[in-house]
Amino acid sequence: MENKQSSSPASFVDSTVVPGDVVLDLSSMTSQTIKLGGGLRQDCDAISAMKAGTLRFSKPNKYWIESSQKRYVPCVEDTILGIVVDSKADNFLIDIKGPAMGFLPVLAFEGGTRRNIPKFEVGTLLYLRVVKANSGMNPELSCTDASGKAAEFGPLKDGYMFETSTGLSRKLLSSPTCPVLEALGKKLSFEIAVGLNGRVWVNAASPDTIVVVANAIMNSESLSGAQQIIMVDHLLKNIQ
Amino acid sequence: MEEADEMVTPGEVLGKATDLKAGKGAYAASHNNTIYASLTGFRRIQAPPPASNDKRPTVEVTGHKAHGPVPEPGSVVIARVTKVMARTASADIMCVGPKSVREKFTGIIRQQDVRATEIDKVDMHLSFRSGDIVRAVVLSLGDARAYYLSTAKNELGVVSAESSAGATMVPISWTEMQCPLTGQIELRKVAKVVN
Repeated sequence: MENKQSSSPASFVDSTVVPGDVVLDLSSMTSQTIKLGGGLRQDCDAISAMKAGTLRFSKPNKYWIESSQKRYVPCVEDTILGIVVDSKADNFLIDIKGPAMGFLPVLAFEGGTRRNIPKFEVGTLLYLRVVKANSGMNPELSCTDASGKAAEFGPLKDGYMFETSTGLSRKLLSSPTCPVLEALGKKLSFEIAVGLNGRVWVNAASPDTIVVVANAIMNSESLSGAQQIIMVDHLLKNIQ
Repeated sequence: MEEADEMVTPGEVLGKATDLKAGKGAYAASHNNTIYASLTGFRRIQAPPPASNDKRPTVEVTGHKAHGPVPEPGSVVIARVTKVMARTASADIMCVGPKSVREKFTGIIRQQDVRATEIDKVDMHLSFRSGDIVRAVVLSLGDARAYYLSTAKNELGVVSAESSAGATMVPISWTEMQCPLTGQIELRKVAKVVN
């Protein structure tokens, strides 16, 4: 069987790869430092893919695999939406759609002391930041940013939460603004919180608006920019 | 040495003192010249050594897991790390000194017992990973669930570890081990190799 190993990395960049594909051959790229992001694994001189997705490259030397799943793998400094499952003496147990429960320390709030520990009911939706995410350990979360300020983290009141894939969450958070959000924002007024773990929360003055926004976002996953704008116009025409 | 026959419990009659000699786990009662078992285990009979004058075979009671080595405070143990958490690491004790244990003992290494200096800045994930083999000393019998172990000495710590690529890593310093296949350096609390 012919072994088709390409020596130029440009051939695999921006194309779909599946687990096991050898995407880079280090023996042909001497004296270069490359950075491997998520989804890539080093076996001596061959870099192979571990996830199915698109291989991306960013100058000067970063390679990673972009993929979209329903399951979230915690990463440090991600902002996510978690649901309180239980509260113990030192931390709250949070469901983050990942392989393990997240631990939110009871003191990880702005101005948090032993005397003013917040009381969250089971089922409360929280906007959180991942502090530590090591494989095999439960990820540690926080309701403050790196400097200790509250910065929009914490419980989300009212509104409606729905689940999406991780790829769609990343598209919604990309800059410049995702076309579907721009098109919705021109006609409707609403508040939105996107978690990189595949959860989105929407709040608006009337339930009709919330439903339209949620449906528009859920429909936009496989559409291109222009198609998203057309879809949003179609939805808004029907409610007006 | 003959095959072990049946399971005996303390107090069971093993034979007459005129036919047998009492070995490990057995004793001879002087008032009626009978050999009784003093431990639980399997009754084994050993042939008499040819050089001695006494021609009686020896009966002993062995083979039960309660006769295996047990960790004691102060003993050096080899353990395999099973779980690493924010402030503790759990480990399965495999050997006490040079002997391997017969039943499962669990140990816990707390954050303050990982090393001797800067104990509140210890990151458990940078000291141990699941699957590492560590040499530790037993601090105390601990609680009902696990012994308390400590690696707070130079010659204690990770003895052998596997890298994420699957190869056995080589220790470089007391904090670093390197994978021979990929060259990646991983952080552990490494035990000093003493020859």
